[in-house]
Amino acid sequence: MPKMVLETTINGEAAELLVQPYATLLEALRDTAELTGAKEGCGTGDCGACTVQVDGKPVASCLMLAMQVRGRQVRTVEGLASEDGSLHPVQAAFVKHGVPQCGFCIPGMIMSASALLEANPAPSEEEIRLGIAGNLCRCTGYTKMVAAISEAATAGKEG
Amino acid sequence: MATVMKTSRDVRGIGLRIPRVDAPEKVAGKTLYVDDLKLPGLLQARLLRSPHAHAKIKRIDTSKAKALPGVRAVLTAADIPELEPGAKTRGHAMMAIDRAVFAGQPVAAVAADELAIADEALDLIEVEYEVLPAAVDPIKSMDPKAPRVADEGTEADTSEALAHSGIAPTESETAQNAPNVAQKSNLGRGDVAAAMAEADFVLEKTYHVPMVHQGYIEPHAAVADYNRATGQMTVWATTQGSFNTRAEIADILQIPEASIKVIPLECGGGFGAKIRALVEPITVLLSRASGRPVKYVMTRREELEAGMPAPSVTIKLKTGVKKDGTPLALEGETVIEAGAYSGAVLTMSGVFLASVYQWPNFQVTGYEVLTHKPSIAAYRAPMAPQTAFVIDSHMDQIATQLGLDPAEYKLKHLQKGGDLMAHGQPWQPNGASECLQALMEHPVWKGRDEWRASGGKNGAGLRGTGLAVGGWVPGIQPTSASVRLNPDGTLTVLTGAVDIAGTNQGLALIAASAYGVDIERVKIVTGDTDTSPLTGISAGSKTTYTVGAAVIEAAEDARKQTLDIAAGELEAAVADLDIVGDRVVVEGVPDKSITLAAIGKKGNTFQSRVPPVFGTSALGFSVQAPAFAAQLARIEVDPDTGQITLTDFVCAQDVGKLLNPLGAEGQIQGGAVQSLGFALTEGLMYSDEGRLMNPSLLDYRKLTAADVPNIETIIVEVPAPAGPFGGRGVGEPPIIPAPAAVANALQDATGVRLTVLPLTPERVALGIVANGGNGH
Repeated sequence: MPKMVLETTINGEAAELLVQPYATLLEALRDTAELTGAKEGCGTGDCGACTVQVDGKPVASCLMLAMQVRGRQVRTVEGLASEDGSLHPVQAAFVKHGVPQCGFCIPGMIMSASALLEANPAPSEEEIRLGIAGNLCRCTGYTKMVAAISEAATAGKEG
Repeated sequence: MATVMKTSRDVRGIGLRIPRVDAPEKVAGKTLYVDDLKLPGLLQARLLRSPHAHAKIKRIDTSKAKALPGVRAVLTAADIPELEPGAKTRGHAMMAIDRAVFAGQPVAAVAADELAIADEALDLIEVEYEVLPAAVDPIKSMDPKAPRVADEGTEADTSEALAHSGIAPTESETAQNAPNVAQKSNLGRGDVAAAMAEADFVLEKTYHVPMVHQGYIEPHAAVADYNRATGQMTVWATTQGSFNTRAEIADILQIPEASIKVIPLECGGGFGAKIRALVEPITVLLSRASGRPVKYVMTRREELEAGMPAPSVTIKLKTGVKKDGTPLALEGETVIEAGAYSGAVLTMSGVFLASVYQWPNFQVTGYEVLTHKPSIAAYRAPMAPQTAFVIDSHMDQIATQLGLDPAEYKLKHLQKGGDLMAHGQPWQPNGASECLQALMEHPVWKGRDEWRASGGKNGAGLRGTGLAVGGWVPGIQPTSASVRLNPDGTLTVLTGAVDIAGTNQGLALIAASAYGVDIERVKIVTGDTDTSPLTGISAGSKTTYTVGAAVIEAAEDARKQTLDIAAGELEAAVADLDIVGDRVVVEGVPDKSITLAAIGKKGNTFQSRVPPVFGTSALGFSVQAPAFAAQLARIEVDPDTGQITLTDFVCAQDVGKLLNPLGAEGQIQGGAVQSLGFALTEGLMYSDEGRLMNPSLLDYRKLTAADVPNIETIIVEVPAPAGPFGGRGVGEPPIIPAPAAVANALQDATGVRLTVLPLTPERVALGIVANGGNGH
């Protein structure tokens, strides 16, 4: 099949990618845009490692066709820090709390958590746990993650 | 052996609550995993796998696949002369020769320009199978007439047992009349029959734990680049031990180790499954055949169908005790289902059954049985969670039925340092009792009667509390390390230890404390197999215990060299020198000092006569340091649906000495949730034909953040005499106790005793109905 031109916005910058019509958003990001932060853990939308944000909403990028983001805003973990390089509050809290172990689920987890805080700036513990329930982590047991997201929410309110 | 280093003052080192140095790049998505690697001309690989658990391969035709544009290599067993019948391990059996022995065994491999082309090529390969009867149930597979799994003359593989615990079967034999029994072990002491006859209370139960997948989120992956000009191959691996991966590739492909360079990239979770070679040999062969670098990443479905899961375990246990509970005799029979290739940690089961609690008379038999399923590998404390589920459920029932407090009963009979283990070696000092006591003091345990009494009222479910103990005897392996002083006054610590558990942070803290500088001056590097000192696998809860000891010694060596040079430069006695901040000072002479940077520069200056500071260490070990944990579960059970909700979960663990607090807590919390996965949801389910029924993460349920409460950690410190600063292994103990703790809590809540994992709503609800409906 001939490749198609995908015009979209990735991490705030206009992007023009040449992709197969059957390419997933995850493949387009990783293989064509060379943004390998989003990971493939299952390819069937069950693990959340590929989570990115499309128009601010978390999506499993392995289940979305790349061409579906034509004209939309895509944000990946690479685009979460400020332009001056300072980490997003969720990223900073993950570092401080010693959350990442193997790190493979972390980009997807952070994209879910940051989207949650956009939608709900002061979530309860239960809301945080539900907000990241689509992201599997096998290393951490989630305890430090929940504490870090909770602290990031507080930091966001104060900031 | 390293001893505790005496520093004259505090440095920012061990015990400090600081985040891992690699955390910022991990949260930014910048960490490189194998699948993130790109090389010029990189091909993508796919494997064609047998859909049948047991089948003769009558014909394979790859001609159409080879003709597809973009396909660069197609391999079947016929193209791989290194393959031999009687394969001992999964690595050796990377491709079925003429008989597939589990559903998911590769029968052909393709490398192509794109994944989509490789996928299309798989569809074009024609394979004609003759389906054969399969041995699917491990107990039936022990029948002499069961369909045979291994080729005749295949040897059992005990290397996994040695890697993890250093305990291989004491008495190993292949039963002549049961071809699928790969190994047998037998441990005994005293007169079991006589003691059992004297018992006032005999309890006999059969327990079962299914196969579970280790569940790392990063699938197995490899990139291989074979250089046709030099014959050298480079392998980028997600591995728990790069030297082990190199050795296995060399053994399987019958080539010298020196021709292979393994570069370990960040390992996205291993938990025991990324020790043995699985994807590396075939990826190397595809690169050799195509002359191009090749990447192979397993899909999740392949992981679940054809990974290397933990074995299914069936244990029949009979105990006899006096009226007051005093243990008299224990008789156990363990059947470990290894899948199609041998490799179980067999004897550990007997050791844990008979000697975590002390039984004066015991006989424990173990069988490793082959079936037509994917062969197994280690999963974090292999065999310990399964065995602890059995013995700690059993101890709880004995106590409950004799009207004793289960925690006090367990505490009374728990092993203590010096007691003999089932295989005759003494337990080394450990904190098992201290962990249990810590939980017995916890409000959740103290409040168990109130919690139970509050159940069933005001719409609440049935409520219960349970605890369990579990331990591990960590492995040991020789290792080496180097510590270098750089011209800028910082230290570089180099080992080959793959950091699967935050160990690099711990090693950096250890180096800082042993040398006498703050952690900020220490950089830790994991090298590849060409450049790093020989280092063992990261497994068996032994990285900090062994590599840490080598890092202490190398750092002390570097410190001594530094002080020797400083003594010459400052014209002072070494005994009067100390390292403070960024310099070496002469005690009592404030203005006499030399910076570490100056010493480092002298080692790197043209015409300088001062040698570089380069501390080294190479160590072997003989003493293992057992590591114990105890866990406490408070649960609520919906009597109608059988759903168990965890409301509180507490882990007490003996870490010897807390070196890296954030890392240790993270290990304990993560291990606990894996342990709870064993308890509540996980199990690979097979059809009667040996096909996996739940090959996706939708159907193979791992616990999410919404399924578990905060995991509370209680750190217990009983120093390990030979451990670095007294530290002992942390990684494995937390995965052990939860299944028994939750099963014990379930009985406390409902009166229902389940002996089969996982404790699914269906099993719980049926148990409640069988018990009379209301749970009590």
